[in-house]
Amino acid sequence: MEAESADRALLERKVRRAFQVLVLQRGRNPGVKGWEMKRHLGRDYRKIIEVLSEDVSPMGLEVFEVKGADGADDSSRFLLRFREPPTISEAETSGIRIDDLAVLAASIAFINSKQSRVARREVEQFLREKFPKWRVDYSLDRYVKRGYLELDDREMIHIGWRTHAEVDEKTLMTLILSRAQEAAKK
Amino acid sequence: MSVGQTRLDDYLRVIELCRDVETSSANPFDVDIREKILILKQRLPELKILDELLVDAEAMLELAQIVKLQDQWLKSRASSLYIDPLLIQLKLKLLPKEALSEAFVKSWHPVAQVDQLSPRGLEKAFVYWRDLVPVSERFKDQFGTYGTRPGVVDYAELVSLGVFTKEQFETSLSELFDELLQKSNGEWVDYREFIGDSHFETKVRRAYLLAFLISEGRALLKTEPLTGRIWTMAVAERAKGQPKSIAISITGEN
Repeated sequence: MEAESADRALLERKVRRAFQVLVLQRGRNPGVKGWEMKRHLGRDYRKIIEVLSEDVSPMGLEVFEVKGADGADDSSRFLLRFREPPTISEAETSGIRIDDLAVLAASIAFINSKQSRVARREVEQFLREKFPKWRVDYSLDRYVKRGYLELDDREMIHIGWRTHAEVDEKTLMTLILSRAQEAAKK
Repeated sequence: MSVGQTRLDDYLRVIELCRDVETSSANPFDVDIREKILILKQRLPELKILDELLVDAEAMLELAQIVKLQDQWLKSRASSLYIDPLLIQLKLKLLPKEALSEAFVKSWHPVAQVDQLSPRGLEKAFVYWRDLVPVSERFKDQFGTYGTRPGVVDYAELVSLGVFTKEQFETSLSELFDELLQKSNGEWVDYREFIGDSHFETKVRRAYLLAFLISEGRALLKTEPLTGRIWTMAVAERAKGQPKSIAISITGEN
């Protein structure tokens, strides 16, 4: 009985620690790498994360894992994110302009349709048909800086890790296709 | 045109073609890898000097990049996210900005986090500030020497500047002292093992705090010049005697 309550107390302490580690931004980018989690919580950190994800569920949050390039556990990035998408008005209150979101949505869809890599000049050219040049340049730079898009040394744009973490790309593509059909019917 | 240049033409053409494909959205399967490798294979015995062999290696590297792109291209085509680019471009053109942003928001799960100034961030800022060369020194080459010479910011000054509080510093110092006291238990312990940590910042921080303990006489330090080993020990009563300065370099290696 005593051992059971000690185990429980240890688990609770670890879950609390996991929450603190995830919620406090450490470096420039949000999220915590697998190796850091292991260091903070021990080898069974995945179980702790599962428990935490359940615990934060009533608050509308979840722990999400973004796999690293090599697919190894250590390079995965864990983030605390909204379980359900926010409403438009909630998104607006966070200070993001509708125009900026539209640029990002169009960029992601365009890049995905081009095998996930497009020359920056091609993206710019495409976006300029719909948005002013200054907004395209400003938004692309901003989204590269924030990790939604990735620019390599050959000036090719890829989908960034943050998009993989925050955006359900399949839903986005489906919504764009279906909305466009509605718009065409009107 | 020299014979060597003619020989290299095929290589340069392969490199250029590969680079063109890499820096555009062109289909990587437009490059016939087999054909290009056969050309390189045919030309290889003619190569005599190192520079020519390096061009051959570069061409092979570019071809390998194309194979990597072909792999990505196939994976992308096979994924459920693949939609004909022309179709998606048309759809994107049809959609008003509001509908685009709405589609984004409906598929968006923002990251929840607390943005704050962490003690680590503060420490980094302090280290940056401490190591920042004064303006008078930075532009010495252009404008000559003037102004005050670089000095040392001591602990009292840091506290007065509000970089960290006395309580925080004292707590860290006592924690490290207790740890050393427990580990040494009247015996010498290896200095590098004691300050060692997988994180370089923590290692430097521990070395910094230990230097304070040694300066205060709460810990001792001895060096073995022959082996290069350094030993340390916590002492219950403050040591007295003539203090001596020892410079120890801390590296990122464990």
